Amino acid sequence: MGPAPPAPSGEALDLFDVVACGLLQTTADGTITRANVLFCKWVGYTPAELVGKRRFQELLTVGGRIFHQTHWVPLLQMQGSISEVKLELVVREGPVVPIVMNALVRLDHGVPVHEIAAFVARDRDKYERELLLSRKRLEDLVAQATRLQSDARDRADFAEQMMGIVSHDLRNPLSSIQMSAALLARSELALSQQRTIARISRSAERATRLISDLLDFTQARLGRGLAVSMVEIDLHECVADMVEELRHIHPARALNHQRRGAGACVGDADRLAQVVGNLVSNAMTYGRADEPVTVVSIIEANRFVISVHNQGAPIPPETQATLFHPMTRGSSAGSSARSVGLGLYIVSEIAKAHSGSVSVRSAAGEGTTFTVVCPR
Amino acid sequence: MVGRMGLRERNNVRVGGDGADTMFFSHGFGCDQNMWHRIEPAYAKRYRTVLFDLVGSGQSDLAAYDPAKYAGLQGYADDVAELVEVYGQGKVLFVGHSVSAMIGMLADLKAPGRFAAHLMIGPSPCYINDGDYVGGFSRQDIESLLETLESNYLGWSSNMAPAIMGAPDQPELSVELTNSFCRTDPEIAKQFARATFLSDNRADLPRLQTPTLILQCDNDIIAPISVGEYLHRHIAHSTLSVIDNIGHCPHLSTPSACSSAIDSFLTQERL
Repeated sequence: MGPAPPAPSGEALDLFDVVACGLLQTTADGTITRANVLFCKWVGYTPAELVGKRRFQELLTVGGRIFHQTHWVPLLQMQGSISEVKLELVVREGPVVPIVMNALVRLDHGVPVHEIAAFVARDRDKYERELLLSRKRLEDLVAQATRLQSDARDRADFAEQMMGIVSHDLRNPLSSIQMSAALLARSELALSQQRTIARISRSAERATRLISDLLDFTQARLGRGLAVSMVEIDLHECVADMVEELRHIHPARALNHQRRGAGACVGDADRLAQVVGNLVSNAMTYGRADEPVTVVSIIEANRFVISVHNQGAPIPPETQATLFHPMTRGSSAGSSARSVGLGLYIVSEIAKAHSGSVSVRSAAGEGTTFTVVCPR
Repeated sequence: MVGRMGLRERNNVRVGGDGADTMFFSHGFGCDQNMWHRIEPAYAKRYRTVLFDLVGSGQSDLAAYDPAKYAGLQGYADDVAELVEVYGQGKVLFVGHSVSAMIGMLADLKAPGRFAAHLMIGPSPCYINDGDYVGGFSRQDIESLLETLESNYLGWSSNMAPAIMGAPDQPELSVELTNSFCRTDPEIAKQFARATFLSDNRADLPRLQTPTLILQCDNDIIAPISVGEYLHRHIAHSTLSVIDNIGHCPHLSTPSACSSAIDSFLTQERL
């Protein structure tokens, strides 16, 4: 390449060597034409060993030399300058020195001169390596978490699907048991046999309800929500029918029904009967056996309400918080408790399907009241 | 296959020039089609010229970057074959810099007979030393490049490209253009570096029947002269032209020497 640039003035010459950064001048092909004291000190070569003897890129690591050819040279050629490039200098002795550089092309009497300013960046290098490492660690953690999450989701999906299939398949043999028991009950039987048949019927009935709960639960958990068919209904009649049915199931217990207000409302009669069934069943299980359970159905101006009250020990506040989550049940339940803890969850799902909600009030002395409130 | 508009957007295709035959310009690893601005204008007088960015580089559509497709050079070659199919008129002359020389060759092998000539600037079929073969690099060297790319990550991504300190001699370059020359998503840059520098296309060379110019610089760390000679020995219809240049981008540093080597090859091949 052309002649070296003319020697700068005395003042500039001083500056070239006293500035607090490494300075280099090269020809277009990288041959070093000037190097300041600081730069020489960093690389461990004298100016005489560098000037005219070496190309700037020969002081870089191999990776740096490739980068120099694929990024540095084209950018300098195309835009005349490049800044904040971080490369590593291979020095005479010791480990490589990370440096950050700016460079620009200056025309000196038509001959391009490359001016390079360099700063040692050991601390920045360390810091960046740590950042890169943390990022790598984070990426690994995120990948791991994502994998675990998706595995868990797969397992949960599988479990719920299995439950759906199993409970659906259990219905057929159960209904056959119920039908057979009903047939047997019509024939001439000894008292002890009648009791046995009644027990078979009750157990099959309970198992059927449990399966129906499981199906509802599965449907709700698989994200489809509970199916309801909303029509105009008579709430009081619907609740009264269910209460009547429940009295037969719990002949030894007092079960009251109070009606307030009048008028039709829109809802799913079967689902609301299920609400009454689940809440009463719950009250029978946890309430005091010598106190009545009271069901109240209320029609108000814009909403309807079903509440079920029982006397007995209050539900601890910490249990109240998770009462409507699936698989939760009060600790006082005996081993004969009816369900695996789906009843209240299904009540809350039915309330949701009616755009309503369920709440609980429980305190010592006043007992426990579950209240479902839905828009009319 | 992607439609014409899809291709234009995907590869940021720019068609210029005027002529019966078409000259394609394909950039290498690092920058984009702006690499060609010193030699393309001369050819635009005689040829229809097609410039484009490889997917992942320059102004290409980053949404089209599929890590699986572009894990190797074949993905890029498939794109080139599509571009040639859609934009090639008359004879197709393919100017490929660096890794694009091999991409052009793979595209040719996919669509035999469609290419009239390859003009390979600084090509290499394999960058890694292997037994007697001297590619110039070891695997560790490529790891060191990946590290270098990584430590220039912050600068490239947050500023998009090195800030401009002023290029008073080239006022025609707009800020937007200048910033995009070497801008690459850091993850894509690393993958493209791997696809490029870990590629080995030596076995494909004997299958190439198209007239080929191997434009070799006498001092190029990325494609040493022994690599040019290797290519010349293994590509049947090839011409090796060594030019006096230090570095890997003769079309930028010595465009006239580059053009005259291309011109004499084109004359020799009557193209």
